[in-house]
Amino acid sequence: MNLAPGSNPVVMPTDPLLEIYLERRTNLVRFFAARTGSLSRAEDLAQELYIKLASRDLAAVTIENPVALIYRVATNVMLDQVRGDARSVARDAAWRTLVHVSVGGEDVAIEPAADDAAASRQRLRQLVEAVAELPPQMQRAFRLHKLDGHSHAETARIMGLSVKSVEKHISAALKSLTLRLYK
Amino acid sequence: MGAAPFGGVYVSNGLSFATAWDGSMISVWRNNDELRGERAAAWVVRLEADGLGDAEATTFDAWLSASPENAAAFDAAMAVSHGYAANCGQIARALSQRAVARPVMDRRYFVGGTGIAAAAMVALAVAPEVFSPVATTTYATAKGEQRSVTLADGSRVDLNAGTSLSVTLTRSKRSVSLDHGQAVFDVTHDADRPFTVAAGDRMVRVVGTQFDVRRRNGKVSVTVARGSVEVRPHEGGVGRAYRLRPGQRFDHSEGGSLAQVVAAEPAEVLAWRTGRLVYRQQSLAEVVADLNQQWEIPIRIEDPTLGATPVSGVLILDNQDAVIRRLALLAPIRAVRSDAGLILRRDPASAR
Repeated sequence: MNLAPGSNPVVMPTDPLLEIYLERRTNLVRFFAARTGSLSRAEDLAQELYIKLASRDLAAVTIENPVALIYRVATNVMLDQVRGDARSVARDAAWRTLVHVSVGGEDVAIEPAADDAAASRQRLRQLVEAVAELPPQMQRAFRLHKLDGHSHAETARIMGLSVKSVEKHISAALKSLTLRLYK
Repeated sequence: MGAAPFGGVYVSNGLSFATAWDGSMISVWRNNDELRGERAAAWVVRLEADGLGDAEATTFDAWLSASPENAAAFDAAMAVSHGYAANCGQIARALSQRAVARPVMDRRYFVGGTGIAAAAMVALAVAPEVFSPVATTTYATAKGEQRSVTLADGSRVDLNAGTSLSVTLTRSKRSVSLDHGQAVFDVTHDADRPFTVAAGDRMVRVVGTQFDVRRRNGKVSVTVARGSVEVRPHEGGVGRAYRLRPGQRFDHSEGGSLAQVVAAEPAEVLAWRTGRLVYRQQSLAEVVADLNQQWEIPIRIEDPTLGATPVSGVLILDNQDAVIRRLALLAPIRAVRSDAGLILRRDPASAR
C-alpha cells in the first residue's frame, strides 16, 4: 500500500478495484451497518476494507466479479473485527471528511443521541403502538425475533412454521413498520 | 390574457394531459414505492441474519445503486430495525403490559339496545379499543433526572433517577407497574378504586397513603410514610402478605419467598426527592448502585468484600467527584479513574 487514503483529495486511486470500491462505498457502509447494527462501526469497517483492498497482493488479480470480491472481503473484515483481531486502524481525518457520506441523513442515527427524554419516550410509544397494530402472526414473529432475540430458526420452531415463512413475516412486519413510522 | 382562446385550449390540453399523466404516474409510483419498501425490508432482514453469497451480494449492490430511492428505502427500514433493536427490552415490556392490561377495559356499558342494535353495539364495543387502547402511560427518568407526575386521579408520583414505571387507570382500579427504579407514591383516597403497585414478584396494595417503592438489582423495598399498605406476592406466587404501617420498611429479594420488615425513618427514605441520600448501615454496594443512577460515569467496586462494607451517613448529590470525596469519609475507600469509570478500591491507609 503506497497511497495514504485521502492524503491528496485530487488524486483518485488508479487501481480499478479501488475505483469500484469508491463507487459503492455508501452501499458498503449500509451493508456493514445492517450487519453490525452500528453506523460508526460501519464507517470504521468501510475504512478498514479500503485498506485491505489497497494493500492486497496485486499479483493475485484477474478478478471475474470485482463487486462480489469486495463484498467477500467486506465479510472477512467484519469477521476479523468480531474476533477482535483487527484493532482499529489509525484514523485519517482528511479521509473521513473527504469520503464520508452520511447514510440517509439524520434518521440513521443508531447510537442513541443525547436527545430529549420526552422526545425519546414519545418515540418509544410510537414504536410500541406500531408493533401492537401488526397482524397477529407477523407481530408474533417480529417480537420473537427482534424483541426477544430469537434467531429465525428458533422463531420458526416456536411458531411451528418454516424458516422461510418466518423470514417473510419478519420482513413484512419491518416493511409495514417502516411505512408507518416514516409517513 | 390576450391570447386567451388559444392559450385556453392549449392550457386545458396541457392540463388534461398533465392530469392523466400525473394520475397514472402516481399509481405507478405507489406501486414502486410499495415494492421498494418490500425489497428494502427483505434486504435488511436478510443482512441482519446472515452474510451474502457472491450472487446475492452483486444483486444487493445493484439494487442499492439502481436509484437513490432504493437506498433511502433501505436506510429507512434499517433505521426502524435498529430502533427496535436498541430499545427491544423496553418495547417488549410495554407490549406485554399492554396485552395484560387490555381486558381491563370494560366496554359493557356501551351495550344497551336489543336485537340489531345490540349486534351493532358488539362491533362498537370492539372498535374503541383500536383507536383508544388501554390508557397505559409509561413514565421514565434518565440518569440524574427526577420527575414528578400528577396522575388523573390526583395521586402524585415522584420518580427517582433511572426509573421506569407504567400507570393504568381504569374505572375500577389504578395499577402501576414499577419496571425498575424508585418512586414515592402519594395516593389520593378512593375506596372504590384500589391503587396497586407491582414491583417484581411483589404487589403493593393501598387505599390512600404515601409510600416509597424501590426495585433495583432484584431487590424490592417498600417504605410507608403515611397510612398503610399491604405487600403480597402476585397471585400464585410464594410468600406471605405483610401489612406495613408508617415507619416500616419491607425488604425482599426477588425470586425468594422470604421478606423482612424493619424499622425505617420515612423522612430518610424519601429524602432522595430533595437530592439527599440517607443511609443507616447499608452496604457500600447499595450506595454505589444508587449513585450510579445519577451520573453517566459508572462507579465500580473492585472487590466484593469491600462492597459489603456498611455505610451510614448523608450524601448530598451535587456532583460526582464531590460525592465520592465525601463517601470516602464514610467508608474505607479510594477512587481511581480509569476509562471504564471510577473504580473504588480499599484504602490501605484506613485499615479498620
